[in-house]
Amino acid sequence: MGMTERNLNVVGKGLHVKDAREKVTGALKYAVDITVQNMAHGKILRCPHPHARVTGIDTRAAEALPGVLGVLTHEDVPQNDWEAAWFNYRGKVLDGVGRFVGDDIAAVAAVSADVAERALELIEVHYEPLPHVLDMELARRQDAPQIRIEGNERPPYVVSWGDVEQGEAEADFILDCDISYMSQQYAPLGRNACVAEWMSDRVTVWTSSQTPSELRDGIHEALGIPLSRIRVIALPCGSSFGQWWSNNFMLVTVLLARKVRRPVKIELTNEECMSTVKRRHLERTRGRMGCTRDGRITVAKFDHLIDNGGYGFKDDVGFFCVDMWGKARNGNYAIHGINTNLLTAGCMRGVGDCTLGASVERMADRLAEKVGMDPVDFRILNQITAGDELRMQHSRDNMKGNRDAYIEGIPPHLRKDWPELFRLSSGGTRAILERGADAFGWRQRWKGWATPNAVDGPRRRAVGVGTGAHVCGVEFEGSSSAVVRINPDGSAKVHCSVGRQGQGSETTQSQVAAEELGLPIGMIEIETGDTDSCPWNHGSLASSTMYRTGWATRAAANDARRQLLGIASREFFDNIDIDELDITDGEVHPKGEPMSNRRRSFSEVLNELRSETLGQTSSITGRPSEPMPPSTTFARQFGAQFAEVEVDVETGQVRIVDFLAVQDSGTVVNPQVLKNQVIGGAICGSGFALYEHLVFDGDTGAIRNANLLDYKLLRCADFPWQADVLFEEAPDPVGPFGARGAGESPIAAGISAVSQAVYNAIGVWVDLPMTPERVAKALQVN
Amino acid sequence: MVDLHVNGRNAALDVKPHRTLADVLRTELGLIGVRVSCSEGECGSCTVLVDGSPCTSCLMLVNQGEGKSIVTIEGIGTPENLDPVQEAFIEEQGFQCAFCTPGFILTAKAFLAENPNPTHEEVSMAMSGNICRCGAYPYIVRSVMRAAEKLRESA
Repeated sequence: MGMTERNLNVVGKGLHVKDAREKVTGALKYAVDITVQNMAHGKILRCPHPHARVTGIDTRAAEALPGVLGVLTHEDVPQNDWEAAWFNYRGKVLDGVGRFVGDDIAAVAAVSADVAERALELIEVHYEPLPHVLDMELARRQDAPQIRIEGNERPPYVVSWGDVEQGEAEADFILDCDISYMSQQYAPLGRNACVAEWMSDRVTVWTSSQTPSELRDGIHEALGIPLSRIRVIALPCGSSFGQWWSNNFMLVTVLLARKVRRPVKIELTNEECMSTVKRRHLERTRGRMGCTRDGRITVAKFDHLIDNGGYGFKDDVGFFCVDMWGKARNGNYAIHGINTNLLTAGCMRGVGDCTLGASVERMADRLAEKVGMDPVDFRILNQITAGDELRMQHSRDNMKGNRDAYIEGIPPHLRKDWPELFRLSSGGTRAILERGADAFGWRQRWKGWATPNAVDGPRRRAVGVGTGAHVCGVEFEGSSSAVVRINPDGSAKVHCSVGRQGQGSETTQSQVAAEELGLPIGMIEIETGDTDSCPWNHGSLASSTMYRTGWATRAAANDARRQLLGIASREFFDNIDIDELDITDGEVHPKGEPMSNRRRSFSEVLNELRSETLGQTSSITGRPSEPMPPSTTFARQFGAQFAEVEVDVETGQVRIVDFLAVQDSGTVVNPQVLKNQVIGGAICGSGFALYEHLVFDGDTGAIRNANLLDYKLLRCADFPWQADVLFEEAPDPVGPFGARGAGESPIAAGISAVSQAVYNAIGVWVDLPMTPERVAKALQVN
Repeated sequence: MVDLHVNGRNAALDVKPHRTLADVLRTELGLIGVRVSCSEGECGSCTVLVDGSPCTSCLMLVNQGEGKSIVTIEGIGTPENLDPVQEAFIEEQGFQCAFCTPGFILTAKAFLAENPNPTHEEVSMAMSGNICRCGAYPYIVRSVMRAAEKLRESA
């Protein structure tokens, strides 16, 4: 069931999203909107120190406050580690140690949130302050205070190919870099809440999450209770971008509810969302890149640090700029994850590709300038095309053995029909760069490196181009699955626990199912949050939703379709081969004869059994008959973006005045949905490039701008309303109807486009974020 | 007791006067379309119309709403009977997660009442008091322009 040649009826249409009416009328329920009967309210007591051990905790005064139902401390908590997806959290729910200012220490349940908050002040905690370390370079030292039992740093994740020394020898030009990045905050509009209710030894959890199955797994790990006793009902998220997967406050809610024998809701404030959950890593790239006189990269050697804060544990695959600049002849990329006494860091949209990726782009731009090449041409010359080798997942020792052992281990029946492993399945950047350059008028508007295309007093305008890549989900964290049911009335329901974070997956997954089943979209509904009805799914992360879950949804729909056609053939079409039947608009008919008077609706087919054959099923459940093909790791998504900026050299203010995004995500399932998502990425990337950064207290690491007043986000007038999106749709051989992933390459491309445009306007590379102050300073220095 | 006039109906509520208007609308009247995010008047998610003007209800105490006509997103249309501004936001997909959407729609409604024939730039400025973290801004501008068209046609 690879790529299809047939005409598509539903896939590719810019349908309005299924929940549009709920969204514009305010009827959509997020977790903050959920209440259950007899519900208590919880609040979390937070650590005031960057690193401290609890030596005593007296809860008596708090418990005596009228309205308080109970206090949860680490003494009530099973001392099991639990882990969030992609090592975004590893630790215990509460263990009597605070590892950053704001860390969870205890929790109170009370009849109202006000009472719970007052009770927090009555809990007396004795802390033994421990030595702390905020700077990741210091945290790497042998004598640094150790934050975790596993140590602050584990062996790096290394990807290497060719011979770096030879690559240096072959280079005509070599440049070095040392670039630091500040930390972006998800800055979620919408906050989050969690409601947990126990019935005997079973628990039901309502929260906004992109990863319902992973949350169920986390509760299982932390509490040690069977998965079958845990039901997660994930509600839509407000803006998430990786923040709302499985988070420790959800586990605290579950344990608090168990302790006080009442349903409990913990609703986070905006400040808690921004200072106690997670954030993008602080990162630093040191590296060198070299190329020949004609612009071919001979060596790319990068050593990249990411700070994981207190509970992050990430130092894994995930930085796909390595593959995008795949024509580099020799390379070595080492990625080090380091723990510090700062707020936990985790995967935020485009993790790694927004930072290491931006460093690589900047180095490439500087080399292109050295050899006098246009940045579009330099990218086309050095970036990957379909069939080229992928390197990011060669080093799989911490996953599933090395590459050869991995290939060896794949059963032959799963390898058939799929493209070659460890090579790019389809697409690349060439087509999007060429298309974008034409549409943007790049060849006319780019006046050369460090050359504005217009000067008006202190205002200088220039254009820039950037490229970004990301994965489309991975296979080694489990096989995402889906179920499709056809009901007796001919309607169908998709069950896939990918959550809903506003990117339209409820609509696009429904489109995939509708296309495969031959049903109108209006006959499809979808459940994306209930782990009791949905099979395990990795969730909406790593840009996997369309590619991997879409594959599973299509496979499940195909299974349901074949079952339905089997019944139809037997009951109405003289047992002909089901491949001789087809479905149009919910009616089964002989292939090529949609108007045949023998056509039968789904409900006729199913009700035939219902009336006449007792004991036969009258509804159909379809599921993928095999695990997902191994090659699902070898697809990538690419974005090329073009920006024009105006820089005021007196104030340092940067304004984006024109923008074009070109995206290669294979077949586009819903162009309206995807355009919105791509522009959203570009705006989030532009925000990271221009303003967004957390401010940490130098002594304690406490976050000083955990609110939307002091943490600056781009607003409507900060981004050109004319911004457009174009697609190149190189179909993928594995993805559903040729689709790949989409959500994360656009942010990476945007960062580099804006960054380069500013350079072209003022002739100085400015570190990100390019705040007016930094731009003005950079201009003074030069 | 606080007497409110919300979405065309009177409500006499026994609530403490220190509570915010947003909180009371959400919890006492069940108007969950009043979204609360930043709680400091910065993001505009909790926007309601007070005597026709957009106000951040997270910064208003409940008794400041007394004697005024308050309109929430629930008061301008229902899933079965949408306001033209709501229709326009669907048609141009002026949202993603939609947590901010009621605030944007009410802001747009008040803006278009004042300026029924705006330019794209005027819309862009007028929508800059609200935050959309998903970054649907270009589509929000197009939604408001389309809403303006619809309202002019029906006028």
